[in-house]
Amino acid sequence: MNKRKTNPVEPVKLPQEIGTCSDEQLVRAAQKGGMEAFEELVGRHRDKIYARAFSMMRNEDDAVDLSQEAWVKGWQRLVQFQGDSSFVTWMTRIVINLCLDQLRKHKRQRAESIEEMAEESGGVERQMPAVTINPTAGLERSELRARIDRALGQLSYEHRTVLILHEFEDLEYKEIAKRMACSIGTVMSRLFYARRKMANLMASYKREELNS
Amino acid sequence: MNLEIKLQIQAWLDGELPEAEALRVAALVKRDAASKSLAAELETMRAALTGNEPEMKLPETRDFYWSKIRREIERLESSGSAPLATTGGWMHAWRRWLMPLTGTAMVAVVAVGLAWLVTPQGQGGDIFLAEIENLSEDVGSYSFRAPAQNMLVVWVYDKAPLPAVDSDLPAETTLQ
Repeated sequence: MNKRKTNPVEPVKLPQEIGTCSDEQLVRAAQKGGMEAFEELVGRHRDKIYARAFSMMRNEDDAVDLSQEAWVKGWQRLVQFQGDSSFVTWMTRIVINLCLDQLRKHKRQRAESIEEMAEESGGVERQMPAVTINPTAGLERSELRARIDRALGQLSYEHRTVLILHEFEDLEYKEIAKRMACSIGTVMSRLFYARRKMANLMASYKREELNS
Repeated sequence: MNLEIKLQIQAWLDGELPEAEALRVAALVKRDAASKSLAAELETMRAALTGNEPEMKLPETRDFYWSKIRREIERLESSGSAPLATTGGWMHAWRRWLMPLTGTAMVAVVAVGLAWLVTPQGQGGDIFLAEIENLSEDVGSYSFRAPAQNMLVVWVYDKAPLPAVDSDLPAETTLQ
């Protein structure tokens, strides 16, 4: 059988110092069983993979567990990686899939509240006023990111996920629909309500700031 | 403005509309104040989010985090379940081609036998079997029989799922 095992006895040789190797070189070494190369990849990209898990789960423990699980799956499936995308994009897709699976399990376990159902169908959106000011104007980048993070935390998981996949992962509607196992129409409406809610939340933060 | 128009405006901003449709929505946004205001709000949000993803730091040290990953990999390897990714091997490639072929052969044998039964030579002109039984897990089949024309058609297909759009996606992705 073609089983790729860790190679602790004979380390896979790298062309140069491990820290100066490119991701591609490290991936090739790891595909041959080079655990040291894989460790370096984990070290380089651990924050990014954790951040993606956290942005979807909004829970530190879940994010740590799922990001770890993603790295283990990444190791197991590394020989499938052909380099069509960057390694970190590939790893990000793995952690997203794990998060989506986990969120679906959570969703099945809890009864949907009336509020959530109303939000999903746009009931809340209809009551939201149009945002006429620019809620992000004049903000420092770090401040803007902090507000985005706060607002993301107030969205339902469906709305948050669709925003993350579209705005941060740059996926098209069709691709998001596949990943979230829903129709393109649902993606469009979720994205719409998510953006409107984000705009209103950001505007409310702006008002808080002006009033304080 | 109804929801459909709102979603079209959004799709236009996201570059998801075909050219003719995009021109139509662009004209609407230009002449209609409510559409223009909605487009501005959506665009502001889109611009604010792009490139401003909140940054997070893993709340564990690199060594501790890695030690847990390594332990799990070693645990899985010692239990023999770790390396699921064996697509590169010749065994996998061989199995990938051989399995559907064996399934096809199996269905063909059953089909030939059935054809013999329903032909006059087989003395079984009035014998009808409800379905061809296909025991293969890799190959499915549909059959269509037209006794008047003395014809049997067997459609054999591969049950394997279509390849994912992104070939780098892990196998457990929930694409539909």
